[in-house]
Amino acid sequence: MERSFSEEIKLLSAGKGEVFRGEGILAITKGLLQSGVSYVGGYQGAPVSHLLDVLVSAKSYMEELGVHVEACSNEASAAAMLGASQVYPMRGAVTWKSIVGTNVASDALSHLASGGVKGGALIIIGEDYGEGSSIIQERSLAVALKSSMWLVDPRPNLTSMVDMVEHGFALSEASNTPVMMQLRIRACHVQGEFVARDNVKPKIGGIHKLAEPAAFSYDRLAHPPSTFVHEHAKVSDRRPAAQDYIRKHKLNEVFKGTRNAPLGLILQGGLYNTVMRQLCELGLADDYGNSALDLLVLNVTNPLVGDEIEDFCRGKDAVLVIEEGTPEFLEQQILKIVTRAKLKIEVCGKDFLPEAGEYNGQVVAKGVAAFLGAHKKKGLALAGAGRHVKKVEEALAIGAKALGGPVLPRPPGFCTGCPERPVFGAIKLAERDLGKVHVSSDIGCHSFATFAPFSLGNSIMGYGMSLASMAAVAPTQQRRSIAVMGDGGFWHNGLQSGVMSNLFNKGDGVLVIMQNGYTSATGQQDHMSSAHFAPVVGDKLDADIETTLKAVGVKWLRTVRTYSVEKMVHTLKQALTTAEKGLKVIIADGECMLVRQRGIKAERARLLKEGSRAEQEKFGVDDEVCVNDHPCVRLSGCPSLTTKPNPDPLRSEPVAHVNQDCVACGLCGEMAHAAVLCPSFYRAKRIYNPGKLETMVHRLRQTVISSLSKVAA
Amino acid sequence: MSAVTRLLIAALGGEGGGVLSGWVVAAAQAQGHAVQATSVPGVAQRTGATTYYVEIGKRDKKGAAPVFALMPVEGGVDVVVASELLEAARMVERGFVTPDRTFLLASTHRVLTVPEKSARGDGTANADTMMRSLEKCSKERFLFDMAETRQQVGTIVNSVMLGAMAGLELLPISKENYLEAMQGTAGSAANLRGFEAGFAIATGEREAPQAGDPKRAPRPMAADPLAARVAGMPEGARDVVRIGVGRLIDYQDVDYARLYLDRLQPFMESGPLLRELARHLAVRMSYEDIIRVAQLKVRPERFSRIRSEIGIDGTEPFEVVDFFKPGIPELADLLPPALGRRLLAWAARAPEKRGYNIGMKVKTTSISGFLRVWLLARMRFWRRRTLRFAEEQAQIEGWLKLVERAQARDPALAREVADLARIVKGYGDTHRRAVTTYRDLVERVVDPALSGDGTGKGVARRLKEEISQVLATH
Repeated sequence: MERSFSEEIKLLSAGKGEVFRGEGILAITKGLLQSGVSYVGGYQGAPVSHLLDVLVSAKSYMEELGVHVEACSNEASAAAMLGASQVYPMRGAVTWKSIVGTNVASDALSHLASGGVKGGALIIIGEDYGEGSSIIQERSLAVALKSSMWLVDPRPNLTSMVDMVEHGFALSEASNTPVMMQLRIRACHVQGEFVARDNVKPKIGGIHKLAEPAAFSYDRLAHPPSTFVHEHAKVSDRRPAAQDYIRKHKLNEVFKGTRNAPLGLILQGGLYNTVMRQLCELGLADDYGNSALDLLVLNVTNPLVGDEIEDFCRGKDAVLVIEEGTPEFLEQQILKIVTRAKLKIEVCGKDFLPEAGEYNGQVVAKGVAAFLGAHKKKGLALAGAGRHVKKVEEALAIGAKALGGPVLPRPPGFCTGCPERPVFGAIKLAERDLGKVHVSSDIGCHSFATFAPFSLGNSIMGYGMSLASMAAVAPTQQRRSIAVMGDGGFWHNGLQSGVMSNLFNKGDGVLVIMQNGYTSATGQQDHMSSAHFAPVVGDKLDADIETTLKAVGVKWLRTVRTYSVEKMVHTLKQALTTAEKGLKVIIADGECMLVRQRGIKAERARLLKEGSRAEQEKFGVDDEVCVNDHPCVRLSGCPSLTTKPNPDPLRSEPVAHVNQDCVACGLCGEMAHAAVLCPSFYRAKRIYNPGKLETMVHRLRQTVISSLSKVAA
Repeated sequence: MSAVTRLLIAALGGEGGGVLSGWVVAAAQAQGHAVQATSVPGVAQRTGATTYYVEIGKRDKKGAAPVFALMPVEGGVDVVVASELLEAARMVERGFVTPDRTFLLASTHRVLTVPEKSARGDGTANADTMMRSLEKCSKERFLFDMAETRQQVGTIVNSVMLGAMAGLELLPISKENYLEAMQGTAGSAANLRGFEAGFAIATGEREAPQAGDPKRAPRPMAADPLAARVAGMPEGARDVVRIGVGRLIDYQDVDYARLYLDRLQPFMESGPLLRELARHLAVRMSYEDIIRVAQLKVRPERFSRIRSEIGIDGTEPFEVVDFFKPGIPELADLLPPALGRRLLAWAARAPEKRGYNIGMKVKTTSISGFLRVWLLARMRFWRRRTLRFAEEQAQIEGWLKLVERAQARDPALAREVADLARIVKGYGDTHRRAVTTYRDLVERVVDPALSGDGTGKGVARRLKEEISQVLATH
């Protein structure tokens, strides 16, 4: 795994009264343990990866508590895991990235929601609309609404988040319904503090095992005719029970305004801090959360509690619903509630706020100012609001004017020395000879190939979906198509959705599987075949992609080291042109460089410390030989292969340059050969603590070379 | 005055921005402040641009912390710390650096984006514009080359940033608390060096690294038989011509350098054109054939450059492996013209032969490896008889004629025609494609302009645009 979590594990065992200082997602994890969960599962993905990572790392502590932790093979298996709480009175939590993970999980979620739960079931999901969001912007609330699951969207401070975890379980149990908890990226990564409570060992778990399974009960099964009963129970029993719990425990919070103005704001809990800050900037609140306006903060966005809304709206002329994402489900429901209650009130929302996009400070400030401007009230001075909105706009204008044009974007890319980079260079070289081919991309680090300098990839249809998404493309192309998939994606879904479907339908096409050993993009979690690169670490499985593919019937199968660019180009060309029908799979083999470097650096440090012989290599460019044309960069894009001002007084254009971050992966040399680039590249090796013989040989060589050099001069 | 100090850190994935914000949080806590930090790492952890946002506040009388925001707002950031120039400019663009409020601490070095470094020519964004925007949009600022600093002390950039923040007293946190916060982080000795360097530069106790002249002094000439002729060149071009002469004597011989001077003769009165032409001509005449590459590869100064790049200052052993891949075109280049052409024609008839080449990894620090390259470098005597020599000279003559004709009509056009030399570069296939592009531009733009009645500025501008387009290709 990318990080070591030893510090975090210590935090998780904090007892009653201790102050927990750390990241939001770890606070949530602590909340799970304080709630007495029996089991936790999930599939990693930003921003919730750390929840599972830390628990997987805390194996022995989890055993001590009797909590079962499962790193599921995908979100569907994680969701199905909650079936335990459907049948038994034990608490369980799962986590994944929404909306995509929720989609993968949907089959199991519908069955879970139909039968309902006995023990508390909590689903912790990441959702975001801002700059850090790496997936599609869709509302998980839609899933909660259609499946009648409850959705918690807590205020983004650690105390509120942890409290809502504990309430989430209780709410789930009180209403026999699974509860989803939605967290935005910044809330997951927020560094803050809360006062801990003791962890609770689960009543049913690894320590207290059940003697007998549950009694057979057809009523619980999500199977007709029970499902018809469930459908009614969702609205007639479970929802009212949930609303009672929410009302009774005041999960939604009303903050009374200081000015008694007949206006109010209704907002999602997750937006509270942004809204408060902007009220403060607009001159309508202080720094400590005392607002001039009444606020109704919905920490639970499904179900809404009708009378809470009614009470808040009564006596007001207008409310503004601040709700991120589209469609505006809350606004619609609130309108229905006040209409049925025959309240004379204007319900505003997306008429003052944008329909799409993140509700950041700027957006909220403008929306609230516009709302207040349209409903001028005594005692609410708006001069400050106008000034603030103007200031925000000016700040942007000043920057734009000073720069005179847009600043170049800097999207994420392959790491220095990444084993996947050479494969895309090889695809470019193969295309040079064969012509462009359709490239079907996938989710994972390799999707960075869609950025410059490769700009490869015609579609991205989901995690592990590249081959499946090529099914109707390949038969319509004169040239064969390529699907690219990571080993993470292969085990997540690609084997089933892609490979099996292709084989079953006697499809054609080329599948390149990036075997780097880990689910790398989400933080280098292990998967089924991680033992391929690290056979001695821990208790990894020795499942193997090659064997698996042979077992399901793949005939054309090659494994090529990713850095062997010439061989890769040759193999790709073979796969793209062979007369042999059927799926052709190339396993591009090369361990994730981040993982490898951690090992290499530690080993070198150890050798140096004990004074033993050690080597360090790096590539370089002879700047006199480089003719500043940069095809090497266009075939690589490695962060350490860059350009620098030309030292030649006769030349003006920058020369290629390999900076000190180079890890000597070898690609520059391979590329210089495979693409017949230029003779500028060299590999230099420094030898620490050399042996006596080595030093002697070196001296001899240097003597001969320097005397020859004199002749040359 | 707000009860909350707002700090935005802009960095690239892998620079330790998260660790830096963690240090600030720990230091602020030790100082007794309420503090909150957040970030959007996501996939941006992989070399992309990313930001970290920290708020530090006073507790109220009841001990409650302020309601902290999770993201910065335009015009509302007190301190911006950026690890790189373009990222600092990005913060300006996004409205986070404003003249009424923001202290900007930024590094002046560049980490180039992919489009900047993959252009065929110079795709680098204008650093002066960015520097001016930083100065114009910040209230106060402290700018220095943090990359060079961290290189000097051997650490990563985040500790230098923290040290500078402490030295400039940007946050209400004492130096001791910063240092305390860094304790126990991996690599703490290196971190401490970085911190102290950043601190000392910020307080003026240590000089900020100065950008050196990127240009290298030309190789000293053993003798200068053409000194008198060079001295007779117009002053505006003399230094370039002197370097050119030295380059060509080294490349071939004195006669060849004399040819260079002869070729410049018709342009003696051309003013600024002469200087540019002298520069381009010297580069074109010292085209990179195998012999030249070998010559450059066996130079003692090359090996000392490599030694310093890998950090060797004494006589410790090191190894250098060079990557060559000569193919049929490179071989043909070395043959006499008739023979070379026949070889190329033979290869052209069978496309699969085009790909014939010999991949060589030569260890130039071994005696046998060095000897092989050294022998190639000794083949200078043969160069004048090669196909490549004949072709290059013909192309150069043709190009000079074009410049001369253009000069007679329109000096502006002549400068652009001279500039066409910039697009003829590369090795192997790239070079062949470049020659084709050159010919195409001459046929499409230059020839019609020179044979027609009028010329005018329009053509010069068009040619300039076409050249920059070719060089901007990725």
